[in-house]
Amino acid sequence: MKSTAVEEFSRVAAQSFLKEPETVMPVRILLVDDHPVVRQGLRTLLEGRPGWEVVGEASDGVEALEKIEGLQPDVVVLDVTMPRMNGLEACRLLQRNQKSAPEVLFVTQHDSPQMMREALDAGARGYVVKSNAARDLLEAVEAVSQHRVFTALTRGPQASG
Amino acid sequence: MKLRILLADDHEIVRRGLCALLQRHEGWEVCGEASDGREAIEMAKRLKPDVVIVDIGMPHLNGLDTTRQLLQHDPNFKVIVLTITDSDQVIREALDAGARGFVLKSDAARDLVSAVEALQSKRMFFTPRVNDLVLAGFLEKGHAISRNEPPNLPTLTVREREVTQLLAEGKSSKEVATLLNLSTKTVETHRSNIMRKLSLHSIRDLVVYAIKNNIIQIQMPPQIRSSSPETSVV
Repeated sequence: MKSTAVEEFSRVAAQSFLKEPETVMPVRILLVDDHPVVRQGLRTLLEGRPGWEVVGEASDGVEALEKIEGLQPDVVVLDVTMPRMNGLEACRLLQRNQKSAPEVLFVTQHDSPQMMREALDAGARGYVVKSNAARDLLEAVEAVSQHRVFTALTRGPQASG
Repeated sequence: MKLRILLADDHEIVRRGLCALLQRHEGWEVCGEASDGREAIEMAKRLKPDVVIVDIGMPHLNGLDTTRQLLQHDPNFKVIVLTITDSDQVIREALDAGARGFVLKSDAARDLVSAVEALQSKRMFFTPRVNDLVLAGFLEKGHAISRNEPPNLPTLTVREREVTQLLAEGKSSKEVATLLNLSTKTVETHRSNIMRKLSLHSIRDLVVYAIKNNIIQIQMPPQIRSSSPETSVV
């Protein structure tokens, strides 16, 4: 009996040791920011992650809504302050009009709890401050792609399920 | 021999974007990255880059004062100023500070490579808006950008401008002293001199002065239901 348990343990251990690495979860991302240089910086960070793909870019809220419809991304990385239509408005419209809206992660210069609340109220799943994007972005995209909330002001990240 | 570029911007994400943009150009390398003006000056002195690209709205020391101090140290530095605004006053100050290039951040993906190429060929590069302003000033007054001069404001020393920015960012005299390697008493003296020279009576007045004179910049959030505009360095 004892040896059976040991054998079983060894079998399970060997299986877990030999098992293939976990499948990479593909994430299709749309970048929305009015500054091409910021989009380039975000893209450089995100494309370093295996399985993640930046499927498109938009420079304001109107263009973002058009591209979301066509590209059907999993995650939209959205700036707040943009010409024509700001990110908050785009996010509200997205939640209202799309049945299966992608998850929205705000990446913004506004390091303010009020703005963060406003963003979450608009339907966003995540909020990251631009000055800390290099630190928080990957973790935030991963969280929101799994439908978890991720918020981080300059004090530091807070992720929840 | 590669052209060596020093980048100064407080946002790492912007630096990454700029790096990607510049390093696509054969023969150029980003030799250093700084996240504020003070660090930029220290790195520029040490690395002696061929071109320095500075963002205007950096904490601790803004891009205009960084440009002034760099050129005071060595007039051969070639500086390109990156800005989110092309107001007359900012353009005037950038030219006055000695920048050889002036690029709007929103157009950086298009203009920055051209600006660096221009400086590499010992030319200058300014956005079309600057050219218009210089030309208008030249045609109307016979010398560049002479209209809408600010009223004769008392001149602050380099150190006083540094102290003004740090106080306007909300730092205490003690914090300013630590950042500038001064005693708290010296900072207090600078503070009194600044207030006296500018006829200011409170830190609130000082913040308003710093905003009006592009020492710090403000970002207006889009319509938010429950708050007033916030002040931040961008």
